[in-house]
Amino acid sequence: MHTKRKRNLSVTLALLPTWFAAVVVYIGTMFWSIRMSFTDSTLFPSSNYVGFAQYVKLFHSAKWLASLQNVLIFGVLYVSGCLVLGFLLAAALDRKIRFESAFRSIFLYPYAMSFVVTGLVWQWMLNPTLGIQASVRSLGWETFVLDWVVNRNMAIYALVLAGVWQGAGLVMVIALAGMRGIEAEQWKAARIDGIPVWRIYVSIILPQLGPALAAAGMLLAMGVIKTYDIVVAMTNGGPGNSTEVPAKFIMDNLFGRQNLGLATAGATMLVLGVVLAVAPFRYAMYLRSNRAKGAA
Amino acid sequence: MKNTMKLFLAAAALTAAFGTAHAEDKPTIEIMSSWTSGGEAAALNVIKTEFEKRGGVWKDSSIAGFGAADAAFQNRIVAGDAPGAKQGVIGLAAADFVNQGLMNPIADLAAAGKWADALPKSIYDLISYNGEVYLAPTGAHGESWVFYSKEAFEKAGIADEPKSWDEFFAGLDKLKAAGIVPVAWGGQPWQQSKVFNMILLSQVGIDGFVKIYVDKDKGEASVEGVKKTLEILGKLRAYVDDGAAGRNWNDATAMVITGKAGVQFMGDWAKGEFTVAGKEAGKDYGCMIAPESSGMVYIADSIWFPKTGNAETDKAQKLLAEVVMDPAVQLEFSVKKGSVPMRSDVDKSKLDVCAKKGLELMTAGSIVPDQAIVLTPQQVGLLDDFVDEYWSSGSQDAASGAESFFAIFE
Amino acid sequence: MARPHPNGPKPAQITAGRIGLYAFLFVAALFFLLPLYTMIVTSLKTMDEIRLGHIFALPEAPDFSAWVTAWSGACMGTVCVGIRIGFWNSVAITVPSVALSVFIGAVNGYALSLWRPRGASVLFGLLMAGGLIPYQIFLYPMVRAMANISLYNSLAGIILVHVIFGLPLVTLLFRNYFVSVPEELCKAARVDGAGFWRIFFEIMLPMAVPMIVVVSMLQFTGIWNDFLLGLVFAGRDNLPMTVQLNNIVNTTMGERTYNVNMAATILTAIVPLAVYFLSGRWFVRGITAGAVKG
Repeated sequence: MHTKRKRNLSVTLALLPTWFAAVVVYIGTMFWSIRMSFTDSTLFPSSNYVGFAQYVKLFHSAKWLASLQNVLIFGVLYVSGCLVLGFLLAAALDRKIRFESAFRSIFLYPYAMSFVVTGLVWQWMLNPTLGIQASVRSLGWETFVLDWVVNRNMAIYALVLAGVWQGAGLVMVIALAGMRGIEAEQWKAARIDGIPVWRIYVSIILPQLGPALAAAGMLLAMGVIKTYDIVVAMTNGGPGNSTEVPAKFIMDNLFGRQNLGLATAGATMLVLGVVLAVAPFRYAMYLRSNRAKGAA
Repeated sequence: MKNTMKLFLAAAALTAAFGTAHAEDKPTIEIMSSWTSGGEAAALNVIKTEFEKRGGVWKDSSIAGFGAADAAFQNRIVAGDAPGAKQGVIGLAAADFVNQGLMNPIADLAAAGKWADALPKSIYDLISYNGEVYLAPTGAHGESWVFYSKEAFEKAGIADEPKSWDEFFAGLDKLKAAGIVPVAWGGQPWQQSKVFNMILLSQVGIDGFVKIYVDKDKGEASVEGVKKTLEILGKLRAYVDDGAAGRNWNDATAMVITGKAGVQFMGDWAKGEFTVAGKEAGKDYGCMIAPESSGMVYIADSIWFPKTGNAETDKAQKLLAEVVMDPAVQLEFSVKKGSVPMRSDVDKSKLDVCAKKGLELMTAGSIVPDQAIVLTPQQVGLLDDFVDEYWSSGSQDAASGAESFFAIFE
Repeated sequence: MARPHPNGPKPAQITAGRIGLYAFLFVAALFFLLPLYTMIVTSLKTMDEIRLGHIFALPEAPDFSAWVTAWSGACMGTVCVGIRIGFWNSVAITVPSVALSVFIGAVNGYALSLWRPRGASVLFGLLMAGGLIPYQIFLYPMVRAMANISLYNSLAGIILVHVIFGLPLVTLLFRNYFVSVPEELCKAARVDGAGFWRIFFEIMLPMAVPMIVVVSMLQFTGIWNDFLLGLVFAGRDNLPMTVQLNNIVNTTMGERTYNVNMAATILTAIVPLAVYFLSGRWFVRGITAGAVKG
């Protein structure tokens, strides 16, 4: 009994710094934000409470509404795009390829680059008068169109393209490593059964990589909510509101527009959205782990 | 061995003591600015050199980009660690800081230096809050400029600078016919707002402009003026190229420099790009105030002096304010930055053609302030949103557009 | 056992399938390399050539002066020393931040998954929710708090901030790693009388070396490329290289020297790139050992 308590003490002590950070920083900031969102704070925190006025303003703001829609579209396409391309690249590299490590480096390097300038390069490349469109047309294909960055309806896909360019390599290494971890016996067995290679990847390997890909997806999702640099560098939210995102909305109002109340209202809605999205998932995990414990 | 050590320590202590005494003698100031690129940095250096010549110690904290610089500055204040000086625009942007009691007034200095006589009255009013002077103005940028390529104008057969919007559009048609992109458009919200403002000034005049932005007047004349402005702005859509959206102003200027495009609407800082490319004002490229304008929109920078609670820094702030307002510094600063000096009593001969035109308008008082000076930062943001939405949607008519314009002030 | 070798049969001959495979890889490589190519050729052009707007054209005469300027001559305000001055600051911020956050992440993952203390899932849920919040909103209260404990504008302060904001990522990865470790291993050690820390240092940490490599690399990239936190918390004596990069690249009303911008960006990315290339094998092996299996 004595040792058990001591053991528990060690665990508690080990987790103390993290508990402290989670409670003081994460929860503390959330409460601070919620409180600020009910005030008329502009440049600095004020304690003049105005009820839900900031929220009313927030949901009357075309920019905010557009940003929610955009981040949803971007998030779904970006995460799934990275996962699909990353998995395909990994599967291709897994097929005993020459220059594997060169290819691997090529697919991974964008992850190391700051978006401040690579965003500008993407802006140039997708700009019809400077980039790929102009080059293809000068080669003779006069009707070729690739104007995503300047086209209201396509600009969000330009962000997705650049985002996938940056993030697919991460999924690739994670998936590739997972594939290397799969037992050789499984391969042999599958080959003996005469199953075609692509079927092996889809029906045998993909399920085994599920958890690894889920972790990769979670990492990417954390990035989605925080999407800021890429937007500022490529489109600055435009044309119109077509690539506005919540993190940029919050940042703009926090500093440039000196509108702390509105910024914190936006952040609060975002936290609420995240909690609503995460809670059922966590609850399911909790139930599952309880069941596992019960079984053991 | 022991003695040597003692001696060494004593010497070290002595040097340290001298070192600190030395530093305390000199007024030291940390200045935060977002002037980091070529011409801007050279202009800042003018102030620095003079400040050091007069015995000051200069600590540079430059952060490029207004957003990043604002974030850093505001957080320094929140932490109670304000820098000694910050570069920022005059007018309402500083108001919150002043009203919260975070800034040092420099009223005595301004009175002693007779700033009220040396500066245009509107500028003097905009650096004063509650009757006291707080900011030291460095220079003004004219924002109503149309830069044009002389080569392109010649090729299209445009002999004279267009005087009216009708002539202007006729010129644009000629450019188009000559296979030149008529307008090098920078499709970013802040650039578009500047074009909106220069057209607005041409439609409602100086008094009308002030009435709208300062008095928030919604009278018939104001609404009519905004409507006409939006019509002209909308007409310009037909004269820009496909790649306009999101374009940096520098890239638009490059189009004029290389003769690919005819004109660009921009502030006078665009001259910096022309100069770097070896082009000369009045010879390779022309600068004209937007057609039908009775004056010029301007934006003015200044140095702010936050309270630091350090008497030494207060002294350094006074010295810096003096240096900034020195006539020679004002002139040299503007030459380097491509801006217009604030003082009316500087030697004009060193300025280029465009700056001379600007200074004339400035001294005549034919100027109206940029929205960043007279609107709150929240409203400035909303104006950007409005103009950008109107420009890029292309579906809103001028009348309903005018309605949403006046909603900014609510 | 894990095999650090590719799967599948040895390619006996060239088939249509293999041609398609290589075609896919080459097209993908082109897609990934095009931006880098554009950056490199732009960095080797003069501004006059850049103004012509042919972004994919090779430079007429390669000019390396932009690289020299970016490294040692580009101006930031009145100081013209290039981005090299931020290099050691970035190292001083990144190395301890990565080391600390990896250690804490390993402890967290181990404690949460193998000891399951009360409230473990609450803590994990809090961290995951925290990881999804745009961190800009933390700035104000964090600045206040750091100033109160006198860590604002200090190296220790920025390191602490990076460690705190890194918690969700490191905890997620290590937890998912240790979850796949057989529980019996831990139980057996406990029966032998080993305590929490002894099991951690003697059994778990050595086992987790591959994961440590992976997490270190991710954290290294993230912290090295951070701009906003460094700008706000580090103080003017410790500003990281990315602040210098921003000062060169970012401007509202100033002239833009694109060739220098491109060179400066590549130079700033060189350290993380070198880390990738040099430890690329480790990266793959690291995850191979079952690292990111949930």
